[in-house]
Formats: sequence, C-alpha cells, structure tokens
Amino acid sequence: MALLELEDVRAGYGATSVLHGVSLSVPEGQIVSLLGANGAGKTTTLRSITGGVHWTGDIRFGGRSLRRMHTEDVVRLGIAHVPEGRGILTELTVDENLKLGSHLRRDGAAVRKDYDRVFEYFPVLRERRRLSASTLSGGEQQMLALARAFLMKPRLMLLDEPSLGLAPLIVRAIFEIIRTINGADKVAILLVEQNARLALDVSSEAYVLEVGRVAVKGSSSELQGNEAVRRSYLGY
Amino acid sequence: MQEFLQLVVSGIATGGIFASLALALVLIYNAMGLVNFAQGEMAMFATFVAFTLIAHGMNYWLAFVITLVVAFAGGIAIERVVIRPIERAPILTLVIVTLGLATLINGLAGSIFGYVPRAFPSPFSVQTVNILGALASFQDLGVIAVSAVVLLAIYLLLQHTTVGLTMRAAAHHAEASRLLGVRVSWMLALGWGLASAVGSVSGIMVAPIILLEPNMMQTIIIYAFAAAVLGGIESPLGAVVGGVIVGVTVNLAGVYLPFVGGDLQLAVALAIIVAVLVLKPNGLFGRPTVRRV
Repeated sequence: MALLELEDVRAGYGATSVLHGVSLSVPEGQIVSLLGANGAGKTTTLRSITGGVHWTGDIRFGGRSLRRMHTEDVVRLGIAHVPEGRGILTELTVDENLKLGSHLRRDGAAVRKDYDRVFEYFPVLRERRRLSASTLSGGEQQMLALARAFLMKPRLMLLDEPSLGLAPLIVRAIFEIIRTINGADKVAILLVEQNARLALDVSSEAYVLEVGRVAVKGSSSELQGNEAVRRSYLGY
Repeated sequence: MQEFLQLVVSGIATGGIFASLALALVLIYNAMGLVNFAQGEMAMFATFVAFTLIAHGMNYWLAFVITLVVAFAGGIAIERVVIRPIERAPILTLVIVTLGLATLINGLAGSIFGYVPRAFPSPFSVQTVNILGALASFQDLGVIAVSAVVLLAIYLLLQHTTVGLTMRAAAHHAEASRLLGVRVSWMLALGWGLASAVGSVSGIMVAPIILLEPNMMQTIIIYAFAAAVLGGIESPLGAVVGGVIVGVTVNLAGVYLPFVGGDLQLAVALAIIVAVLVLKPNGLFGRPTVRRV
C-alpha cells in the first residue's frame, strides 16, 4: 500500500474548480514528481493534501483518510509541506523558524542530532542562526524551509517548486540535499516542479497534470525517454 | 528638583499600571489585528473578583493570583464563545463586538456589585522612603515592582518558551504556522487569556488609588491606548515604554503646566495619541507597514 493516495480528488476556490479528479500515489520512501504547466493544479493538489483548500474524493495517508481534517492535524501525522513562497516567518529569527519545525517532537536527543545534520547540510544557517529570517537571500530562505521541514521528522514531504527563482548553482545544491534526505531517512517526497528535467532526475515516478487532470503518468525514466511526452508536456 | 523626582517616581508607578493594560491591548492586537475595547471592562470585572475574595477574608496575594487565573480563563472563554464564531468577519464587526462586550461587562458588574465606589485594599503602606533625596511611597514602589514582575514574566513567556514562540508565529503568519502543526485558533484564545490576566493586574493596582466601581477603567483605558499607540501598537516592549512615558508625562504636566492641572490630564493622553498618529504613526517601536497598492 502506498504511503499517500489521492483518489479522484476535486478541489477549487469558491466557484472556480481547479482539480477535476486527480488520482495519484506516493510509495513509502520514494520521490514522486508532479509536473505540468502553470495553472495545471500542482499547488492546489498539495494544498488539498494538507487541508488548505476544500476538496472531495479521498486522500489517504498511511491508510487513514484525511477527509475533513484540519491542516495542523494532517501535519501532525507526519507530513511536512513547504508551500509556495516557502512559508518562512520573516518576523522571527532563523533559529526560531527551525524551532517551529521541531517544536512538536519529544525525542530530545534525536532532535539535537538532527540539528547537527541540518547545519552540516546548510552551514550558512548556523552562521545566521540569530539573525532575522527576513535578512536571508532567496536561496537561503529555501534552505531554511527545507531544514525546518526536515526537523519535523516527517514521513512525507510536500515540496512546492524548491527551484523557483534560484540561481542554477543553488538549485543543484538544494536538489542534492533533497536526494540525501530521501536516501538517508527514507522520507517520501512529492515534488512539484516547473523544471521537469531536474525533477525527473531525482524522482522514481512522475505525474503530469494538465488543467486539473492527470495527463501522463509513469516511471521518471520512461517519461525522460519518451520524446513525445517531453515535447508536448515538459517543454524540453 | 526633589518634587520633580517624586513626580517621576509616582509617574512611573501609574505608568506601570497603564503599561499592563497597554500590553493587554498589544497582545490581542498582535494576535488578530483587533483593538479590544472591552479590555478595560474585563480588567474591572476581574478586580471585582479580587475584591470579593479579599472581602471574604482571603490573603491579598492569594486573591491576586487566583484573580489572574480566573481572568485568564475568562479571557479564553470570551474568545471561544464570543470571538471565535465571528473570527473571519470584517475587522469593523469585531471592533463593534468588543464595544458591545464592554457595555455588557460594565452592566453585568453594575448589576452584580452595584455602582457604589468601594475602597480597595492595597498591600503596600503609604509610608515613604527617601531615595536619593526624593520621597517615594511604598505604594508607588510596590506598584512598580508588581508591574515589572508581571511584564517580565510575559516577556519571558513570549520570547523564551515554546508556547510563546508558537503564539508569536500564529500571530504573524497563521497559514504558515498551521503547516508547522501550530494550533492557531487555540493560540488566539491563549492570547486573549494572557491579555485578560495582564489587564487585570492594572485593575487591581489602580483600584486602591481611584476606588473600585464599574466605570473605573474608562479613563485608564484611554491612557493605555495612548501608551500602546506611542509604543507602536504591535510592540510589547513599546507598550511598556509607552506606558511609563505616558504616566510620567501626565504626572508632570498636571503639576508644571498650570492650565492642565488635575482636570485636563486625560487631554494630555489624547494629545499624545493625536501627536503620535500625526508625526510618527508607527510609534516608537512599531515597524513601518508596507501596503501594496
């Protein structure tokens, strides 16, 4: 059984419907890409999972339905959602942002180890611990968002366009760490990306959304090898 | 000079009282962008609770602590019952509701406790002590000490505990906080509870000076508004500094500006509000607000 399953999920904002029946699944410990053009419904899919938008159909996490659950309760089941715009609390310091990631955990010793690992992955965060998060650059804020999600010790991470607006070198570093987190901790990841080439490189499976429906799905290598799919949906 | 120093010390004492109520206003403003016009009445009602406990022979400080706990629970109850159902209403609706709440609590206190002003006990003697040539009363020093302890406790709670961190997070960015597992709605309720408890300290401290009756906080809340606006309505530190500045200013103006006297002291507070809004709308510690047009 997959860790996360979406079954015929429909969602929208007020009278505007965005998802017209999306079904997908994320197996335990795997990276799955969710690709598609702007407005295809990628962000809305992630927001449905964590209850940020009203949806119908069914979403199950670890076999348990998330229907009518509040965002904070979904998150407490072990889902870390790095939203569009990264969700950094810019009024707080870097350290306080990180603490918000680990604040629900009771395994003190493991938390301390995880902080060490975070600072090993992102040394710049250690240097800036006491500074306001608003002073960080875009890339550093993305690192902070990832680090904070990691400190939640989730079973599943939802990443919404981690490469958005970042320099290629920084993007490469961030994806390296996404791969590391997935490999070392068996954290499953549902990765939303505009940059399809990059996403297919790190993921094992992929879905392509087109106007609120799954247009193509398959293993990432299959999609990479299929020129028709690449041209018509992925733009490279 | 000696008179000046004495006025400053007693000004700081009243400033501490204003600061507590101003901090209560700031806590709720930070949590939901709302000015709680019922804050003064909530403090007044809590003071009646303290009065009743003490009148039944309870030790002053025990009554003080129990009143804070009751006020805390009362603040949470008000948020859950009155504010929660209209949480998403336009801010003006919420403001009107707090005005209604003020009237309601005032009437409730009147019908339960009556409108006859009562002497409220003070744990501090009115004797004076000589500090650097200025005579300060134990009453003033006691009020300063109690205010300082309460304000310090709130500071430590907000800045150095996990619950304080989640409260600040929920206040600044509800959506991002939910994604981190913060129960935002409960944090708002907690903010109301905390505000109610801090505000009640101002009621208990001021009651021995101005006598206890249902309308006693109606001028104090104006001074508290002045303090909060002066400090920058979002800043807890600003509320405290603003409270002290307003307390001292009003005290000095009452004596040194002949036309102010005792009658126009409230006008000084209003003048401070107007001056801040005109000259420095963000107050001393407020951050400039950027609005995209």
